[in-house]
Amino acid sequence: MSATAAVSDLGTRARLAVAGAAALFLSAGALALTGSTDVLLAVLALLFEKSTLAAALRLSVPIAFAALGGIFAEKSGVINIGLEGLLIVSAFGGVYVTSITGSVWLGLLGGVAVSTLLALLFAIVCIEFRADQIIAGLAIWLIALGLAPFASTVVFGSTNASAGTTFPSIGRLLANSGLPVVSTAGVAALDALAGVPFFGALFEASPMVYLMFVAVGASWWTLNRTSFGRWVHASGENPKALDTAGVRVSRVRYAAVLLSGVLAGVGGAALSLSLGQFVGNGPTMVNGKGFIAIVTYLLGNYNPVGALLSTLLFAGLDALQLSLQGQNVLAIPRPLVRTIPYVSVIVVLALFGKTRLPEAAGEHYESGEE
Amino acid sequence: MTEAVRLDSITKRFPGVVANDDVTLSVERGTVHALLGENGAGKTTLMNVLYGLYEPTAGDVYVDGDGLTYEGGEEPDGDGDSDGLPRIAEAPQRFDSPRDAIDAGVGMIHQHFMLVDPMTVAENITLGNEPRKWGGLAVDREAAREAVLDLSERYGFDVEPDATIEDVGVGVQQRVEILKALYRGAEILVLDEPTAVLTPQEVDDLFEVLDELTDAGKTIIFITHKLGEALEAADEVTVLRDGRNVGSVETVGTTREELAELMVGREVMLETETPPATPGSASLVIDGVTARDDRGVVAVDDVSFAVREGEVFGIAGVDGNGQSELVEVVTGLHRPAAGRVELDGRDVTDASRRERTRAGMAYIPEDRQERGLVMDFDLTENGVLGSQHDAPFAERGRLDWERAEDRAREIVDEYDVRPPDAAADAKSLSGGNQQKFIVGREFARDPSCLVASHPTRGVDIGSTEFIHDRLVDLRDEGRAVLLVSSKLDEVRGLSDRLAVMYRGRVVGVVDPDEVTEEQLGLMMAGERPDPLPRAERVGDAADTDDRKRVRSGVASGEDADAEATDD
Repeated sequence: MSATAAVSDLGTRARLAVAGAAALFLSAGALALTGSTDVLLAVLALLFEKSTLAAALRLSVPIAFAALGGIFAEKSGVINIGLEGLLIVSAFGGVYVTSITGSVWLGLLGGVAVSTLLALLFAIVCIEFRADQIIAGLAIWLIALGLAPFASTVVFGSTNASAGTTFPSIGRLLANSGLPVVSTAGVAALDALAGVPFFGALFEASPMVYLMFVAVGASWWTLNRTSFGRWVHASGENPKALDTAGVRVSRVRYAAVLLSGVLAGVGGAALSLSLGQFVGNGPTMVNGKGFIAIVTYLLGNYNPVGALLSTLLFAGLDALQLSLQGQNVLAIPRPLVRTIPYVSVIVVLALFGKTRLPEAAGEHYESGEE
Repeated sequence: MTEAVRLDSITKRFPGVVANDDVTLSVERGTVHALLGENGAGKTTLMNVLYGLYEPTAGDVYVDGDGLTYEGGEEPDGDGDSDGLPRIAEAPQRFDSPRDAIDAGVGMIHQHFMLVDPMTVAENITLGNEPRKWGGLAVDREAAREAVLDLSERYGFDVEPDATIEDVGVGVQQRVEILKALYRGAEILVLDEPTAVLTPQEVDDLFEVLDELTDAGKTIIFITHKLGEALEAADEVTVLRDGRNVGSVETVGTTREELAELMVGREVMLETETPPATPGSASLVIDGVTARDDRGVVAVDDVSFAVREGEVFGIAGVDGNGQSELVEVVTGLHRPAAGRVELDGRDVTDASRRERTRAGMAYIPEDRQERGLVMDFDLTENGVLGSQHDAPFAERGRLDWERAEDRAREIVDEYDVRPPDAAADAKSLSGGNQQKFIVGREFARDPSCLVASHPTRGVDIGSTEFIHDRLVDLRDEGRAVLLVSSKLDEVRGLSDRLAVMYRGRVVGVVDPDEVTEEQLGLMMAGERPDPLPRAERVGDAADTDDRKRVRSGVASGEDADAEATDD
């Protein structure tokens, strides 16, 4: 047996060991402490409740948008670990603009604008000034982590701020559309569909949930079917090939990083505006969602659809965990319950995490240099 | 004659260096023109000027794939003016970027392919010029496929548009590069060292492709430092030396010796004359070694031989027949599935690289940039690589940099490494000089056994000659040398005994002075011609056979097939 074969064997074994240990930890937490099948049934019942799906969809939005942004940036060769920071500034930016204008839609645009600006700063630092992408990304996060609560304190007098309004429901949007048939028939159909157990949640979700599905489809198309997608791919795999083919690598990378700013901006604004407020204390209301987004797109192997699926998995577990806490089904300490989504992600990563990083990810590229 | 390209008195200066000095090059339409020269002669620089990557310091570039037009009529009178070239009617071209050159019909196939590995053949060919549909919202993948199939049919290429680049061989990748240029409308193709990465068979295929292209009216310029290839594939050869054009000759009626003399400016011995060896006892013993490659396929299949003190044992064969894996097993980079490696009577099968080096084994790896040197280290640091734990450099856990620098200086002096500067980064040296430095470092270990894998690959003639002489010197000092090379001339010229490998097995061990080229060719294809001038068998061969039989039955399990045991 060759050395590498042995190593990959070892790798599989290590994966199984990690997954096994984590699963054991989970089941030990869940069952051994309670020791009853009733609990299992209760958990399953919770899992298939409409409110769980609704919560999962809601929790998915910021993660999925940030993940889409991360995919574009990283596929182009710029690892954007500043996604967390982009979410934070756009969450605040959305609330701020909404509170001034009274319109969540303008607020959404405001959040996108702030996030894109910060992404531009990141892009300039990485592409123009050849900064280390990881360090620059961390800096973006730290800047946002300080800046947003500070701005909130300056403007609103507190690290928490209220937008005064939230996104209208999809039903309200239809009713106000001004098209008589659409509004009455649409609202009636929505009401009927919303009554369906479990899946009904899909029909009373925030408009941002629908935008998320559209964005995933559009991103997939852009990456896989358009010239720009090809260039992004080539720029991350072999920038020199793209350069000699007559396409400016730095332009492609700028475009990809800015796009990650736009997408993360939508995610951040959606997060704060669906609650109607910005929470800026501690790790802020974003609370690691940007980092989870990185995990989900890696798990989805840079495929937007894969990223969405892993986001839904994580968000679903998070939603379940929230209900478990709320209803106190498991007789185990809450901090332990809170770890369920994270531990599960470790299990999934260990079992299926076969991600192939873009060849030139994290490397600076300068035209005309050897 | 109709010229497609004329570079008129090109001079290109870099800070401190004149890379091209008043070079005039004229290339006839529809021919293959070889640009021949040693490493650093300015061949690539000249072509980068043609491709718009460099702006010339002085001189003019004229390009027209259909042929240049001349002053006073279309047909030049031929004998022309003082420099023998008729005057061109058009203004010279200015290429500010490769884009301009591409627009003018110049395509360049770089030595390192500019391909995106996970993308398909068609995606790579159309990259940057994708056919689009739906107002640019989508790439027209069908049109791209069609275009690729069309082109490859027209020039007799055999490529599958939907294959992924990382799944196809180097030869196919090169064709994809050529197609990429043709897709962009290239009439003039520049190939930078196109044969460096190809097997002999693929080289033949490439030359056929070049013929197809010139038949279709394309003009080819190819850069090479290999005489034989220039003579074989080109219609005309221009030789560059030290940045100057030292002569253009038609290949008909030119000999290797003439070209070689032009290249190096002095007479070169193309055949290494080695005095007969006086071998001693076995130093390096390979016994029944079987090894799998990274994919788990058997790459080395029950190989046994012994290298004696004072002899060069050569291994010939087409690349990829298990030589690399065998060398890795011998040097401790790859664990064998079965078999033993002995060095001076000691079993080193499981010994680490460091232990082997301490036991007296030196190693010249085949990839100098990947394994031989750390490119970002300077020569002082590179000079102690492999000896950093040992006297005289290591002292109570710290390195003695003064000694290290002395060592690097010694190597640089003795092996004529240029620039002669121990503080120079390895990456700033040309390939030939990097290789000379590695050779110097390994020889400085005073090894009892040297494993040299393709020691002159990509190295210019002058350095090659030098390295060959050193290998023979080492042999004459009574050391054992294991030489692996895919250059037949090299292994035949240097070896005292020569083994040919095919599909992981040793087809036979022959006397290189007696064996004919035809017989070697057959052996490299896996056949055993009869009668074969077999080399004498060495030392303990009989009892290793016995041991092998016992071992392969026990240790190697599934691959101890009948063939392996009844040898």
